[in-house]
Amino acid sequence: MAQQLAIIVLVDIGNALEANSLRDNVYLFDNMKLHGSDGQGTGDLVTAIHGAYWRDGSQATEQVLNWLPYSLGSLPPTVPRGYESERALQSDARALEELDALTAKPDATDPAADLNEIRKAVGTRVKTTRRTKGRLSGQKVIDLTGEIVTDTSAGTYSYPAPVITDIYGQAVDEKIMYPAEYGSPDLVTDGWYWSATVDSSRPGTYSYSMRIQLHRLVQRGSEALWEPVNLTCESALRVTSEPKVNGFTGSGMGLLPLDPYPSSAQGAEYFQPGPQQPGPQQPGSQQSGVQQSGLVEEER
Amino acid sequence: MTSETDNGGARRPIAITAVVDCVGALATGTVHGNLYFYDTNKAGGSQGFGTEQLRTRVRSGDQVLWSVLALECEAYTAIDGIDIDHELCEPERRVYPGTDVAYWIGTVKKDIPGDTYYQVRFRLGSRDEPIVTTLSPSLVG
Amino acid sequence: MAYKPQINIIAVVDVIGALSGGTLHNGNLCLVDNAGEESTGQGTAHLRTAVRPGQVVQWSALAVDLQTPVEIRSITFLGEDGVATPATRTSAEGDGDKLDLAHWAGVVPPSLPSGTPFKYRLELQMYEGRYSVLHVDSPALIGV
Repeated sequence: MAQQLAIIVLVDIGNALEANSLRDNVYLFDNMKLHGSDGQGTGDLVTAIHGAYWRDGSQATEQVLNWLPYSLGSLPPTVPRGYESERALQSDARALEELDALTAKPDATDPAADLNEIRKAVGTRVKTTRRTKGRLSGQKVIDLTGEIVTDTSAGTYSYPAPVITDIYGQAVDEKIMYPAEYGSPDLVTDGWYWSATVDSSRPGTYSYSMRIQLHRLVQRGSEALWEPVNLTCESALRVTSEPKVNGFTGSGMGLLPLDPYPSSAQGAEYFQPGPQQPGPQQPGSQQSGVQQSGLVEEER
Repeated sequence: MTSETDNGGARRPIAITAVVDCVGALATGTVHGNLYFYDTNKAGGSQGFGTEQLRTRVRSGDQVLWSVLALECEAYTAIDGIDIDHELCEPERRVYPGTDVAYWIGTVKKDIPGDTYYQVRFRLGSRDEPIVTTLSPSLVG
Repeated sequence: MAYKPQINIIAVVDVIGALSGGTLHNGNLCLVDNAGEESTGQGTAHLRTAVRPGQVVQWSALAVDLQTPVEIRSITFLGEDGVATPATRTSAEGDGDKLDLAHWAGVVPPSLPSGTPFKYRLELQMYEGRYSVLHVDSPALIGV
């Protein structure tokens, strides 16, 4: 059964831009801790790929890797990625309403103050360089609470989420994984994400690199620009592969053990309450027909 | 862009992110071993990145913003409450305008000498009771 | 009439729902098979899979949310009194990180009587820890 493996790339964008490096400013996670991934939450993650093969040597599992770039100190990824644009539209609508109200006012005592209020509502709209046109262009700068930022010099703004632009290196060169960028209807990933299938037949540890694009807000004259900054970081896959084993027999396939009482002579001993379900009942397991046979892991 | 601007203008809020392995926490009944804290004030002297005992360096007047990130993007994970000395900070829950995504925000009321420890309560999946941090992160003066 | 040589039973699990509530019921487990219309309870935890002697039956588990781990920890056929027996404990068991290597499949015995349901305990492991193992005793194979 295809197992989806997720690798989260969490970037401290502010520090990374300051240092012009992802070293010590990127934290990696995956969901393969159970299979022996090392370095969760650090910059030195080694992702365990647990392969399996059938008796004839053919690959028995399909592993699919997905990369999810997130940002520390930005809007959380659960906020829809189009949020900056949406907030921009909302703030424009509000400004237009206020303009209408202002022109309708018969006795505008302090038009300058009123206009200033409108200017605050409008905020700073970002231009982009040609390379990133489309993605961030026309968005407004918003802060960590989703409010429109009017004074970008205070540095309270939220950085755009990091973007993976390439995955390459040893694991790709040696054809251990086949990464590519895919489109997706899932807005959490902005409609694009990097994914790879893995050849788990060649055990070993293979490094790979990610090229990650961050954006620095620069003021050019009266314009604010998100300037792309390309940085790289490294990680690794550790591939293991073991043979599939039949769950019932421990070796090859046999008859299903349908009859728990194989012979009348042995029958008696099977009626004894089995010691194989020891654990004390867990709280909250009163539901009929369902018991938790937990604690086994702990007792080992 | 430095966060140490003291020109009377708004300072960049310090964002604290709790990364939660939701499935791990539900399977074990504890966030211990399934929780990683980070903040955006490493340059200011915060320590313990990626652990359950993050020490976030703060000064009087700093805004602190807590949010949560689930390792499994489909898993519901939220902060249910932050138990901290209200003499120092009173975090309150807010949502991003137009969404149901929440964050907690509070202002540091005074400079403090050492560590002020606090607990975070998490809502995970559809589990009824929240799970509270086992080890405590802190704000450090 | 030719019958399928292999029947597949798939346990589709809402892992986060099951772990949150501590139960595989309440819609957290859907069992489906491809045995055709003679099976009953498709999509529930009470699936009765129609099988014939000589057919291979294969079980697999799949998480609804794909990124969460779920593996079959054991399948144990139950006696008439519903007691699991030590006769069918397996070698794969007890090695949580190796459960994905187990292939749960077997041949329906030639002596299978028709019309008798053989209930089994399906034990699933979701991640690791004291609340990670849950089971149901409700599904069955039935000879037709």
